[in-house]
Amino acid sequence: MKDRKNTEGQPLSCPECLEGLQEYLDGTLEKQRSLLLFLHLRDCTECRREHDQLKNLYGMLQTLPDHPVPEHFDEPILASIPYEAYRAMEPIRRERVPVYLEEEFLPAWIRSSVVRWSGIVAAVGTVATTWALQLPPTVAIVGAVGLVPAVLVALQGVGRRMVLAEQRTES
Amino acid sequence: MFDRHQDLKTIKRCKRGEEAAFAEILTRYRGAIYNLCYRMTRNGEDARDLAQEVFIKVFSLLDRFDESYAFSSWLFRIATNHCIDHLRRNRLKFLSLDGAVGKDGEEYELQFPGKEPEPDTVLQRKEAMEKVEEVIADLPPHYRAIILLRHDQQLSYDEIAETLQMPLGTVKARIHRARNLLQQMLKNRSYDL
Ligand SMILES: [Zn+2]
Repeated sequence: MKDRKNTEGQPLSCPECLEGLQEYLDGTLEKQRSLLLFLHLRDCTECRREHDQLKNLYGMLQTLPDHPVPEHFDEPILASIPYEAYRAMEPIRRERVPVYLEEEFLPAWIRSSVVRWSGIVAAVGTVATTWALQLPPTVAIVGAVGLVPAVLVALQGVGRRMVLAEQRTES
Repeated sequence: MFDRHQDLKTIKRCKRGEEAAFAEILTRYRGAIYNLCYRMTRNGEDARDLAQEVFIKVFSLLDRFDESYAFSSWLFRIATNHCIDHLRRNRLKFLSLDGAVGKDGEEYELQFPGKEPEPDTVLQRKEAMEKVEEVIADLPPHYRAIILLRHDQQLSYDEIAETLQMPLGTVKARIHRARNLLQQMLKNRSYDL
């Protein structure tokens, strides 16, 4: 970190140049300093040789030949995996649906089949009567409120199925 | 370099016990991990055993993998530590070759083996590579690992920091020192670059 103040366009000394050489080659040296280093390298044979050597070393390190993986490498690994244990833990681990999609999110009385079916019957009955007796349509709309519990439970079910299906395809 | 998102998907399948998913992870990483182990030890049999142990360990610890990190970082950390542990256990073997070992086993007082300086020939590229690999293998294990992660696996500084769980500044300083040492060792052995 010595002489770091000396960055305002002053030419670099050799030690300063060498100190920044790695970052220069990494491409992480700040722009102004890079330029100074470039100029120094242009004029200084000693540092340029150092630069070339280092660059060469980088190149070789980057292209070390791959050693082929020995045959039958995977077998003992795959044989050691406790698949059954993983499968057994899966239901515990499985990600859950958002709270509002859980059945318990709706009050029990809405979920009860008696309420849902009587709601449906009431709604259908009102609509049918409205039509048969030619009553004003507002009566039918009021009657349709009876559908609300059934619709809520159904929507929740569809949402839950969609989330779970998405989790399944995601993986 | 490795696809973090793709890995995460595969890991989720592994956690469900899908055999094919484990095989996919192996296909993706066996080369990188084997080569890391090979270059850490310079020994094919050791490298194979170490790399297999790494995968067995990783697959048995999958539940502890924190998905907010990249899987590759976690894998390379386990591999690096496993190799370094192995080298420590076998330290005695290297004592006679590499000179004094510090009390903590991390920093060697480097003494360059008394090889005859080679004639000033331009080495063929392949030979030169072999020399470089040889010299890497003579670096102290921590430097060896960081050089391999940076240059061979081509991880970024940030990825190395995540892999080795070190501050970025420490990573940079250590890579800097490792390269200096490497260059110095190559010069001392009269290897032309
Ligand atoms: Zn110079």
